[in-house]
Amino acid sequence: MVLHSKKATRRHVMALGAAVLTAPAIRSAHAQAKTLVIGGSVPLTGAAAETGLNVNNGYITAVSYINDVLGGVEIAGDKYKIDLKLFDDASDPARATTLIQRQIDEGTNFFLGSFGSNIVLPTAAITERAKKPMVQTGGGSDAIFTKGYKYIFGMFPRATRQFAATAAMFKSLQPLPQTYSVVWTNDAFSKTAAEGVRLSCDAAGFKRIEGYELPAKPTDVSSVLGSVRSTNPDLLVCVMHDQNSLLVARQMVASNTNVKLLFQGLGPQLASFREALGKHSDYLCCSTYWDENVPFKDKFFGDSKKFIEYYKTKFTRPIAYHVAGAAACIETYVLAMQAAKSTDPEKVRDALAKADYETFYSRIKFTPEGDGDELLMGGMIGQVQKGKLEIVFPAAAASAKPLYPQPTWDKKA
Amino acid sequence: MNLIAQTVADGLVLGGIYALAAVGFSLIFGVLHVINLSHGIIVLMGAYLALIFSETLHIDPLLTMPLVMASLFAVGYVYQRFLIQYAVDSSAFGSILLTFGVALMLHNIMIWVFSPDMKNITPTYAFTSIKLGPIVLDAVRVSCLVASLVLLSCLAGLLKFSPLGRVIRATAQQTLAARLCGVNVRHVYALTFAVSAAFAGAAGIVIGIILPFSPADEATWTLNAFVVVVLGGVGSPAGALIGGLLLGVVSTLTAQYIGPSFPNVTMFLLLVLLLLVRPQGLLGNAFAPSR
Amino acid sequence: MSQRPALFVAIILAAAVVLAALPLVLPPFYVRVGQLMIYSAGLAVAWTILGGFAGYASFGNAAFIGVGAFTAGLVEERFASLPTPLLLPLGLVVGGFACAVLSAAVAYPILRLRGTFFAIAMLGVCHVCAELNNNLDVLQGSLGLNFPSITPAGWDPATFFYELYLVAGVIVFLIAWQIQRSRFGAGLLSIREDEDTARMLGVPTERYKRIAFVVSAVLTGLLGVIYAHSLGYITTDSVYRDDTNLNLIVYSLLGGLGTLFGPVIGAFMLVFITQVVLARLLDFHLFATGLLLVVLVLAAPGGVLGFVKSWRLKRRYAARVPAE
Repeated sequence: MVLHSKKATRRHVMALGAAVLTAPAIRSAHAQAKTLVIGGSVPLTGAAAETGLNVNNGYITAVSYINDVLGGVEIAGDKYKIDLKLFDDASDPARATTLIQRQIDEGTNFFLGSFGSNIVLPTAAITERAKKPMVQTGGGSDAIFTKGYKYIFGMFPRATRQFAATAAMFKSLQPLPQTYSVVWTNDAFSKTAAEGVRLSCDAAGFKRIEGYELPAKPTDVSSVLGSVRSTNPDLLVCVMHDQNSLLVARQMVASNTNVKLLFQGLGPQLASFREALGKHSDYLCCSTYWDENVPFKDKFFGDSKKFIEYYKTKFTRPIAYHVAGAAACIETYVLAMQAAKSTDPEKVRDALAKADYETFYSRIKFTPEGDGDELLMGGMIGQVQKGKLEIVFPAAAASAKPLYPQPTWDKKA
Repeated sequence: MNLIAQTVADGLVLGGIYALAAVGFSLIFGVLHVINLSHGIIVLMGAYLALIFSETLHIDPLLTMPLVMASLFAVGYVYQRFLIQYAVDSSAFGSILLTFGVALMLHNIMIWVFSPDMKNITPTYAFTSIKLGPIVLDAVRVSCLVASLVLLSCLAGLLKFSPLGRVIRATAQQTLAARLCGVNVRHVYALTFAVSAAFAGAAGIVIGIILPFSPADEATWTLNAFVVVVLGGVGSPAGALIGGLLLGVVSTLTAQYIGPSFPNVTMFLLLVLLLLVRPQGLLGNAFAPSR
Repeated sequence: MSQRPALFVAIILAAAVVLAALPLVLPPFYVRVGQLMIYSAGLAVAWTILGGFAGYASFGNAAFIGVGAFTAGLVEERFASLPTPLLLPLGLVVGGFACAVLSAAVAYPILRLRGTFFAIAMLGVCHVCAELNNNLDVLQGSLGLNFPSITPAGWDPATFFYELYLVAGVIVFLIAWQIQRSRFGAGLLSIREDEDTARMLGVPTERYKRIAFVVSAVLTGLLGVIYAHSLGYITTDSVYRDDTNLNLIVYSLLGGLGTLFGPVIGAFMLVFITQVVLARLLDFHLFATGLLLVVLVLAAPGGVLGFVKSWRLKRRYAARVPAE
């Protein structure tokens, strides 16, 4: 694998510095353009830092495109520039809530979310009380959307609903798979996701052989793989964060543990993941919420290809769907403000609840509880074919047909 | 029967690596009486250095070991001699705080330099496995285990037979007496730290080959070292090996027979129990009493 | 101050009244920072009853935060139909009780260990609790636990919890102070200075250590219960935090180990620095915090109070010995 990150980080630091430094300068240079402050936290240190950086870069891409290339956005007759105010919450709920409060005090009206439900929920409780909307792309647990909060919106369906598409894809495979086993790690995200897998797959009529719970940070999965080898399910579904998916895949290859299809909720969508596995990554399936070939048109960037083009002028870090999801958060805010013809947080909240926009990321439409619409914003299924991630489901967005069953690992090389 | 054999074999392989990752921590604890909270960061430094060297020089990651160990030896010497020593001199808890502060700083620097992404080192033989009768083992894990055992024996030999080892042991047992015999204790401390850092770096290479790693893993490796050292006993490679192997086997057995998410529970339960029954560790304390 | 206890209590209460009035003038952000300061100071004082007075530095007090919080949350969930004002007292009682039971159970074996080994064993206890909490589904550690909103109507939650922390903090502080000036406190001090000699001279060291341990644990647990309510939703990761374990030691070291005001000063300082001064440094704050620790260790090894003391001594010495 290549060490591209050194450059990326330096650039990212510079871009951040530039964003921070130029924000006041822009305000004074364009006295006629008003400033729209969007605040929020991202985890740039700690366990979720990898996704945190992607989300951070997505926000910056969208904001700098809107400010520098489009010269701002027009809302109700006024020209606005966006001022992005982010801080690092270090995955600490106490820190996150304190600093969110600081932004509310300073008059920030719109918020972007952190990553992980134990951070998103306590911060959302504060923004909810202050009646400020939060559009977030990092918290998918059901708990966020079942508390009756009215000001929180998520770019994904809640965790238990994310796997309807997966089960439908399994159903479309020929010859029809019969059995599956599911593996998850012991954290809120993976656990609810596994619940979602079980619900959707049982409903679709697949027979569950076994469910395995791993510790939140596994270092060795050989015992689970031993059991998989002896029970031999058709499908193996792993729902966990990227790093753990890679561990599972590598140990499966090394111990020659074969199933007809390996589905990993997160992992294969990352270029670094595919590089690490080399040829062995072929045939692996994953959820993906966006890729460069999605057909949507966008008011700001035009389409996904143009978004990626612009992203590449700012960052050298490989793109991931969280980048696009984060950029879409900003776009959604702007679209909602334009629809509400106002920058009043309550009116924007109402516009968000009624949102039905097309962005390069996807159609944006929220359920009454605030999570993404199950069908419109639910996942697509990607499969690695010849080292590239192809969309194989749903058929409307598909760029290739799913390949099934996968050959044994030793035949792939 | 096969399942038990396989589980134990997996555990031994894992344990060998735990042992290597902990031995540096153990040595520092035993000789300097310093709890080095930046141990995990040094382990990760080894992993990142191996990644850089193996990519720029196009060699097998295990072959970068001399380079990595030499660099970290130098870093360790300077770190102890010019930073930690002052903290040790100034207050009892100073070294814990200082190493914690340094760990935070290095963690942040790693995020800048290497990005927070998970990285991994993939040698050419990453996906092959070895069959011993009914037992299947990854080639990577086995080669890493072998490397660990070789390194641990080297360290044991170094401590036992070399003049440097003798001086280190003497200083650990009777600091004052050693000083009276003309030993430059600060120099010896710094050398001990340097050796420990070098071995932590070597462990980093091995870990980098087996597991994906990112700067956030730092705390895990410090904690693991804690446990291994307490299980095995402070200050000796043999203690670290026993502690590591025990930990590895217990982890895989728990994962297999109690539930895959329970190894950490049994690991810390074992730690507490052993502390109560035998606070000096299974092999006893090789050096001066550390309580 | 120990000569005139009534005056001391009066000063503390006056200070508390001033602090209690602060939310009227402070912007909400600083109220939240204040919450965190008082909470941290309370934890640090509770820690110091064993760690500072008796010299048994625990590295696992987050165990009691977690056990207190989860016990309270689970019980309150079961009794959700009770009137809201009863929920927090109920939570405090069961949370505190759980911590008392846990600490009494581990006290006997674990207090036989000394120094670093005690610290590590407590870390182990904390991790065992955290892992069990995370892995046993009935305890809801990994999925997370919701807490009822206990803020009375008409109150701002930030202010409400600020006052709640303040009350708890003052109580913890006064208990610690009372312990420090009692015979029991003198006993703890003798344990810190030389445990074996103390026992030889007839100090019931075992009993004293155990009592100090349980008191420290219960107070920590009570603060944990309040903390969980102020967050509203917790998972294992929110309460069993290793950085809390470490910070509790850091607070005392920063302020001055073994003193009563040291942990308070240390907690106030560190919270202010990390949450206010360094908060804006987006991807720089870990480094800055680390640097601060390193500088402090090298420049002021005895903590702030130690620094002030040695500075005073120096001045006094300089005044007596005229420069040559």
